[in-house]
Amino acid sequence: MIGIGETKMGKLPDRSLRDLIKEAGSKAIEDAGIEKERIQALYMSNFNGQYLCYQGHMGPLASEVLELGNIPTIRCEGACASGSLAFRQGLFAIASGMYDVVLVGGVEKMTHRATEEVTTGIASAEDFQIEARVGITFPSIFAMIANRYFYEYRNVREEMAMCAVSNHYNASLNPDAQMQKTITAEQVKNGFPVSSPLTVFDCSLVTDGAAFVVLAATDAAKEVCKKRIVEVVGSGHAGDTLTIGTKKSITAFAATINAAKEAYNMAGLSPADIDFAEVHDCFTITQIINIEDLGFFEKGKGGDAVASGKIALNAEKPINPSGGLKAKGHPIGATGISQIYEVVTQLRGEAGARQLKKADIGMNHNIGGTAATCVVNIFKGW
Amino acid sequence: MAEKAKVYTYTVINSASEEFKDKVPYVVAVLENKNGRFASFIEGYKDGINVDIGMEVEFSRFDEAQNPIYKF
Repeated sequence: MIGIGETKMGKLPDRSLRDLIKEAGSKAIEDAGIEKERIQALYMSNFNGQYLCYQGHMGPLASEVLELGNIPTIRCEGACASGSLAFRQGLFAIASGMYDVVLVGGVEKMTHRATEEVTTGIASAEDFQIEARVGITFPSIFAMIANRYFYEYRNVREEMAMCAVSNHYNASLNPDAQMQKTITAEQVKNGFPVSSPLTVFDCSLVTDGAAFVVLAATDAAKEVCKKRIVEVVGSGHAGDTLTIGTKKSITAFAATINAAKEAYNMAGLSPADIDFAEVHDCFTITQIINIEDLGFFEKGKGGDAVASGKIALNAEKPINPSGGLKAKGHPIGATGISQIYEVVTQLRGEAGARQLKKADIGMNHNIGGTAATCVVNIFKGW
Repeated sequence: MAEKAKVYTYTVINSASEEFKDKVPYVVAVLENKNGRFASFIEGYKDGINVDIGMEVEFSRFDEAQNPIYKF
């Protein structure tokens, strides 16, 4: 990882897709300290541009904006995991020996549309025919997961609220985060009841934003990188059925468990070796399930870990130092890259007020849809 | 279609898509019968109706997309 760049996340009505791509992409290339002629391929992530912005073909759009000439480019889509999927394509391209330097980016523009339209657009990540057509929204899927979790383990309503509180606090220390204010557990629990038991404060944000990273083969990275070199030491990708009714369990995500296993095996590391993680907190219940599925805490005990402060900055296992999807923001196609941006920033020691004291091995965990897609990457600073 | 199914999990929705925004609040659920689990809309929800995991609901009809719709 030799370069990273991102926009501020948020409601950015005056900024176009082109504008967001230009800022984040240029920052990443500048951060890498390379001439753009060295970039040999571009992997672009975007989820819902064709519905929300009537814009497809995001690869050439980004290549044109960043003046990358005639290099090959492709768009990756896997719902909320799109960014990490694009990242994996870049990783494969480098690992295969095909290219030495590639650019990976993600962008999404969402806030210009009405809430109901965004809800409809996001519902395309579930089964539109048999789920969305009976009124199932994404918040409702994770609300059903939460109610089932309460039934199988225990009621973690309070601990879910504490996840939101923790992520808002971390975001208040992150200048790129959409939310810059702290909240209380009472505010979370008393928010508008989007889909019981989830209130609006249990839900991740609707966000405009872009994030880019530059990947290089180890020799090229050693040659150009003037900052701490961050190596991708593990990567895993697994899937599951698309629909909520067909999964063996909805309180543990098989895609996460399998992707994490692949990443841990590749890295030769265990959950205890991970200093911190950016995990996919699309909803507060998801953060609790994720920290169990990733092996950080015992199944059914994720809520206890949150309640006892183990996921806070500089605690036992800091989770979402950036503020996560909940408070940094969830620009869907850019989210996975935005998570990786935070991991690299922490590993380099450039995270300012939210900098973790121990940051040598970090993880990003990104799921798509009803945990139908999952990517886990592990990064190590040299 | 079996006459009855059990609620595996559920939620009361207050914020919906364009197509369903006029129906809030409404209940969707994952139901379970001898053929397995599936997602459904449960008709007849009114504020104050008790919904619980394990309760039985009755088959009502198929909607235009041939999805099974149940009722309290």
